[in-house]
Amino acid sequence: MSINQILPFLSTAIMLGFTIYVFQRFFVRRNPAFLYWGIGLAMFCAGSFAEAYLSLAWNKSVFFIWYLFGAALNAAWLGHGTLNLLVKKSWVHVVTVALVAGSLFATYLMLQAMPKLDTAVFTTDKPVSEQYGTKALEAGQAAPAGAQTMTTTYRGREVTAVRGLLPLGTPVRLTTPFFNIYGLFTLVGGAIWSAYLFWRKRVMPNRVIANVLIAAGALSIGFASTLTRLGYGQYLYLGELISAILMFVGFLYAAKPQTDEELIQKRVPASAD
Amino acid sequence: MIKQMPAKTSPSRIPPNSLLFEKIIPALLIMLGLVTLGLILFAAGVLLGIIQF
Repeated sequence: MSINQILPFLSTAIMLGFTIYVFQRFFVRRNPAFLYWGIGLAMFCAGSFAEAYLSLAWNKSVFFIWYLFGAALNAAWLGHGTLNLLVKKSWVHVVTVALVAGSLFATYLMLQAMPKLDTAVFTTDKPVSEQYGTKALEAGQAAPAGAQTMTTTYRGREVTAVRGLLPLGTPVRLTTPFFNIYGLFTLVGGAIWSAYLFWRKRVMPNRVIANVLIAAGALSIGFASTLTRLGYGQYLYLGELISAILMFVGFLYAAKPQTDEELIQKRVPASAD
Repeated sequence: MIKQMPAKTSPSRIPPNSLLFEKIIPALLIMLGLVTLGLILFAAGVLLGIIQF
């Protein structure tokens, strides 16, 4: 086994521990933010395991899990947990309904895409995130080295495309940026905002550091994914591992009890508790 | 003569004159905010078809 096959399993193990920890806190404290984070982390964990599995062998159901939970939905659910702490509950309820409806719609679109998968292009030689999408090439644009290409009709014109597992123009792919922008804005933006609030009030230094770690962890996976799309897929699994560690340490650090913390919490309600 | 005792810092308070909290954390927050903004704009550009990705 290579290091790139071990890393995703390691990330999965950390995410599993993290998920159990967050769900435990939900059952003790009954704060819905923990429920949403728990759902997002369970999705992250499932996606990470699916990615690890797909680095060893092909399985259609595992790909379904990887794309839906790992690539599309998890960031949005994680961010939704943070939103729950920062805005009025009535707004959270509206967004929760939209998020559940959007997640169900994405699941429906993913199910529609499953019979159309081009499984012949799959290889365990590179991360699944480097081979899931079919990409149309612009006129004169060269295909990357080793890529399999095809000529097809797309939006009424004949194009050359780099073959991927999901066909060109698959509707489920259009939903992914919406979830990821929402997730990035709420999870990272929320953590930065919380850190700033505590820092400005000069209170709870553990939560200032914790929120910086959470924001950095969430950004590192975004960076790793972007690098993968730019052809540097070898850093993806390392990025995921760093992300899992930073976010878990951040959450543990935020939960660390501090003297007179409850008194201060009454004055500064927003936090990535 | 009353001997002046040094002020005790509570663990729930950001320590004064701390390099970490006075310089490093604000710089990190600004950097993380800018990177987040950049990524959101980038993702929006991809979504709108302005950036080919």
